[in-house]
Amino acid sequence: MKETTVILAKDNLQGLLRKLGRDKSLVAPVTNQWGDTLYTEITDIDGTELDLSKQPQASLKGFFFPQQEVIQTYDTTAGYEFTPQRHIQPTLFFGVRSCDLHAVLYMDMIFSSPERDDAYFARRQDTTIITLACTTPFANCFCNATGSGPFMEYGYDLQLTDLGDRFLVEAGRQQGEQILQAWGHFFEPATEEDVQLQYQLSLEAGGRFQRKVEVEHACRILASGEVDEQIWQQLSARCADCGGCAYVCPTCTCFNIRDAQQEPSKGERIRSWDACTFSGFTRMAGGHNPINSDHALQRRFLHKLKYDVEKHGKPSCVGCGRCVDICFGHVDITTFIEAVVED
Amino acid sequence: MSIQSEINPYLPYPVIIDDIIVESEDGNLKTFKFVFENKADEEKWQHVAGQFAMLSIAGQGEIPIGIASSPSEKGYLLFTVNRAGKVTTALHQMKIGDRMGIRGPMGNGFPIDTELKGKNIVIISGGFAFTTLRATLLYMLANRSDYGNITVIYGSRTPGMLLYRDELAEWAKRDDLDIHITVDAEAEGWNGLVGFVPTIAADVAPPADNAAALICGPPIMIKFTMPPLEKIGWNDDQVYLSLENRMKCGVGHCLHCNVGPTLVCKDGPVFTRSQVKDLPLEY
Repeated sequence: MKETTVILAKDNLQGLLRKLGRDKSLVAPVTNQWGDTLYTEITDIDGTELDLSKQPQASLKGFFFPQQEVIQTYDTTAGYEFTPQRHIQPTLFFGVRSCDLHAVLYMDMIFSSPERDDAYFARRQDTTIITLACTTPFANCFCNATGSGPFMEYGYDLQLTDLGDRFLVEAGRQQGEQILQAWGHFFEPATEEDVQLQYQLSLEAGGRFQRKVEVEHACRILASGEVDEQIWQQLSARCADCGGCAYVCPTCTCFNIRDAQQEPSKGERIRSWDACTFSGFTRMAGGHNPINSDHALQRRFLHKLKYDVEKHGKPSCVGCGRCVDICFGHVDITTFIEAVVED
Repeated sequence: MSIQSEINPYLPYPVIIDDIIVESEDGNLKTFKFVFENKADEEKWQHVAGQFAMLSIAGQGEIPIGIASSPSEKGYLLFTVNRAGKVTTALHQMKIGDRMGIRGPMGNGFPIDTELKGKNIVIISGGFAFTTLRATLLYMLANRSDYGNITVIYGSRTPGMLLYRDELAEWAKRDDLDIHITVDAEAEGWNGLVGFVPTIAADVAPPADNAAALICGPPIMIKFTMPPLEKIGWNDDQVYLSLENRMKCGVGHCLHCNVGPTLVCKDGPVFTRSQVKDLPLEY
């Protein structure tokens, strides 16, 4: 089936979102009073101004895999009862950037194997994702080098491309097609010129990246050889053990599990984000730690650029550039890639 | 509960502590005997020697521990636990009759019904790493005709630190088992072997032909045990080791235990020495 391509006048966007937000929660980028642009749950579409001009500072990760979530409650008063907690909230995500959708598709893959993660898929089920193609990449973006943008080729329900006073709308998955059918009166047919304009914008976007990060080159080097010990030591020495890179990373999904006792026989089992760069990540009871601080960054970089390439055929860095902003030691993944390529 | 556990691998089976045996003279090693609270869970539980499970104490957390009982022992599970951190300390304070949870079994276990069948087996162990090898040995003895000669070399610092002392004495009486128990130094009342495990292994290790070695112990013991074995023709494909790493989920998602691309919780914990040598040095 050839995917449907239509036009949505910008004046019709609010009306469409108002309709789509009736059956589902609506999440879209909003800039708050502190100047932070975040994917935000919108309860009043008419009283909220969307901000599609900036890159949201956090990815969609936290919506499906929250920073902290109760995966079970327990009650040992009479027996030993653990009750799984499932959070289901049908949600429509609007204005999602292609790096962030690529990251969700990656999470879908890794949380379905070797075992299916119930908590993740409870949150993931019944969600619709409408992306906004990046016609102008942001300062730290390098998704062109990771094969995850600036335009999506698959995986979206609907993809929008800003053509000025209107959006070109492409339906990717069935849910997208259903929206076009159910709310046809918001849309009008796309002309050949519209499609040509989108093609031209996608070509221009590719040329607008400010950074050139040689991800593929680095992956090839990592596949065939060892990293110079000095690179690990120099970069790790500047890692402040803060975990910021892993937290903002849309594909970092390492987690910890701990119990929080609330009363003597009742409590919660909580899953929370972890970071393999933390010095305690691999430390065992008794104190033995197989990773020393000289290699604090090794697990993270090799996982994304070497082991995931071996396992899944491509790196699990989606080029969003958020770690570049967050790392005050300037030892983000692009620093590593540059060091490997230059070496 | 049992149906839920099938769907959700994070849900522990409720168990009751049926017995606690203090194994070592310093009191730091205890064997916990668990019985399932629900018969249906017990019937569903099927493990292979060498696998591990998550011991789950509500309010404290979970720890991965090797299963010390053999699949041939029915109706209960045994775990021998060293007191080392928060959860093991809480476990050591628990009493017979207390309830807790178990998730599992997890990992691959020794290839006891496949690659090891028909072979001469040597078990080499030091300290409290003997636990899953106890499970393995009991399983092999229960299916004795499936294996050739069985040799056990097991050592600890002192006689009082040896695990399963009553069983060791019973095994020593068997004529279908060649067992060598050693301690590091002479000790009062000890009439057995004295010397480090590698030294004893050099003296009594069987020929490499049609044989497999299962080695669990401190890294230093494994390191010095290999040269005497190699000298008489053993190669790394015949040697099975069991790795341990920090773990949180046990189902391949939390990524605390991975060594490079390899998940100790799923691909291991049992690896041949050749496989271990191919891993990045992160364990």
